[in-house]
Amino acid sequence: MNEIDTILIVDDEIQIRRLLEITLSANGFNVIHSMCGKDGLVDAATHNPSLIILDLGLPDIDGQEILKRLREWYTRPIIILSVRNSEEDIITALDNGANDYITKPFRSGELLARIRVAKRYSEINQNEPICEFGNLSVDMLNHVARKGDEILKLTSTEFALLSLFVKNSGRVLTHKFILRQVWGFGYVEQTQYLRVFVAQLRKKIEKNPSKPELLITESGIGYRFGE
Amino acid sequence: MIAKRSKRQLKLIESNTKLIQYAIVVILVGITTLVCIPISNAQGYHVVSFVMLFVVSVMATFLGIGPILLASTLSSLIWNFFFIPPHYTFHIDKTEDILLFFMFFFIALLNGVFTSRLRRQERLTREKETRTNSLFQLTKELSKSVGIDEVQKVTEYNLEKYFDVKSFLILQDGSNVLENKNRLVSEKKLGSKEFKVAVWAYENSKVAGAYSDSFSTCYYTYYPLVGTRIKLGVLYVKMEEPFSDDKQVLWNTFVTLISNALEREFLGELAKKGEILEESDKLYKTLFNSISHELRIPVATIMGASDTLMSHPSNSKIHNELNNEISIASLRLNRLIENLLNISRLESGRLSVRLDWYDINDLINKVVSDLKEELRLFKLNIGIQKNIPFVRVDFGLMEQILYNLLLNACQHAPLNSTIRLNAMHNDSLLTIEVLDRGSGFPDSALNNLFDKFYRVTGSKTGGLGLGLSIVKGFVDAHKGKVFAENRKNGGAKFIIQIPTPESEITEIN
Repeated sequence: MNEIDTILIVDDEIQIRRLLEITLSANGFNVIHSMCGKDGLVDAATHNPSLIILDLGLPDIDGQEILKRLREWYTRPIIILSVRNSEEDIITALDNGANDYITKPFRSGELLARIRVAKRYSEINQNEPICEFGNLSVDMLNHVARKGDEILKLTSTEFALLSLFVKNSGRVLTHKFILRQVWGFGYVEQTQYLRVFVAQLRKKIEKNPSKPELLITESGIGYRFGE
Repeated sequence: MIAKRSKRQLKLIESNTKLIQYAIVVILVGITTLVCIPISNAQGYHVVSFVMLFVVSVMATFLGIGPILLASTLSSLIWNFFFIPPHYTFHIDKTEDILLFFMFFFIALLNGVFTSRLRRQERLTREKETRTNSLFQLTKELSKSVGIDEVQKVTEYNLEKYFDVKSFLILQDGSNVLENKNRLVSEKKLGSKEFKVAVWAYENSKVAGAYSDSFSTCYYTYYPLVGTRIKLGVLYVKMEEPFSDDKQVLWNTFVTLISNALEREFLGELAKKGEILEESDKLYKTLFNSISHELRIPVATIMGASDTLMSHPSNSKIHNELNNEISIASLRLNRLIENLLNISRLESGRLSVRLDWYDINDLINKVVSDLKEELRLFKLNIGIQKNIPFVRVDFGLMEQILYNLLLNACQHAPLNSTIRLNAMHNDSLLTIEVLDRGSGFPDSALNNLFDKFYRVTGSKTGGLGLGLSIVKGFVDAHKGKVFAENRKNGGAKFIIQIPTPESEITEIN
């Protein structure tokens, strides 16, 4: 995409909007903003931005509700930027379709990095048969993963887990989501399985399994895959 | 219900025994008459009078006064009718026999009356003794009981035991307003009409309700509890019938004793509340002072730095340095706010622990990477037990615990010294240790380290003294323990122990 990316900011705090506008414009984004949920929904529909930054504590409609309504038609990344930092809020937002969740106060650098990751994977990820992350390459068609030149010996569950991560790379996946996708509905509470497979997968794909760089733990919420 | 039934039964038994007593009198006198017929034939009718007197005296020892009256009248008439000549008439020939007849009657009567009066006296003494005993028991138990709740229990128990009534207590709220709230059974509440009568009794310090002079149509009877200095509340009971005079006196004494005990506990609780208030006032002042200090310093830094930035628009060296200061100050502010929020989460009691299975390696990695900047100035030595099983903890809380402990170490250890972090799991107990080579703690501080807003005297670093109390609070939420000790060769050692089951699953193929 060569056109300038437009980012919609939905936040009721003027200072945050100003800060975001300065930061994002300085990084080459085109910024529009709405100060309440209703405006946000309208602006999203009229401008079809390439990414939305959404606050949860809006004066008119709750952010989670807006997120749900947006997700009825909007497929591009939505990043939640909120002061709410409880695991419940984060998990709910991710389950409602948010790509990422950043709590206020935040570092602009962190926010920009997350925006880039979210955008990158939303653009390339769709039907690419081979995905590469550093020296790891995953061939989704032939079910083969390579670390450098070496072909990794993965069990079918391990590969299922890895391909789920790859398909959603850059995105935080909640424990429940992963368990449901890889193991099925009956296993949603079996976090222990997940821990075992994540540990095993890390041993195979990470340079240093005790300091993972690809398969990152998100405190109490789930995992994120990506460089 | 049980009490009511037994009372009714008791009455029934009582009236039955009276009838039985009269029957016994008639039967015994009849038998004696039959026995006396041969005696009279052999020994004469005078002997008969002695036998009959004897029987009446014996009866007097176990029968009531009514039956005894009957016994003496009946036996004297029988003696006259059957034994004194002329037989089968009430007519008496000899003057001495008339005299004997009257003497017989009086002796039988006096004998019976005195014996039963003696017994009544004895019964009264016994009752008095029970009363004294009940008062003694109540006094003893009341003086032993600590706290209003216990006094209430003792009250209800003793009133049921000695008066056979179910009683309830409602108390004033500390500002002289009666509360419709039973402290022991919270769902037990008075209806609004009944409660109004209770309030009336409380405010006027007068008995009200059933069997009293005021509001006698009420279901309950309300006794005001008045201490020597303050009104305490109302004791209400459901009575089946008014108390007898004796019982009423005893009841009033009970109520006075209960009131005094309640007053003692009530004033005690008030004093304690006052102490807590004073304590929290002191805490508030300390808090206010240190928070305003802790907040102002970073705010001052940010304000000052941004002002200088504006007035020196083109000096990039100053820009970098000031930006760095702003960044540090904002981090410090953020940490402060996090700590305050965590403390208030703990204080509100609404902290919920979300346990799930986690890999300790993950936890430690996360915390270490969050503290990357701070730890860069130290040598970090991480020792995690090999193949440590997954543990069931709250990740967010554990993260905060470790974060605070490591940050604490960074703040107190000399630069380039080694900070150690150990984790192991044994016998369903996860142990994590954080060791530094700082100055450790003075002995006097060891007991207070985990108190809110406590800061080791003379410690150089800023902070509110919340970090360790959050650690303690979160460890407690996991039902775990945290200790601090001084290391042999200098430095501090924090040990946390969290009970957690061991995952049975460690490897799946």
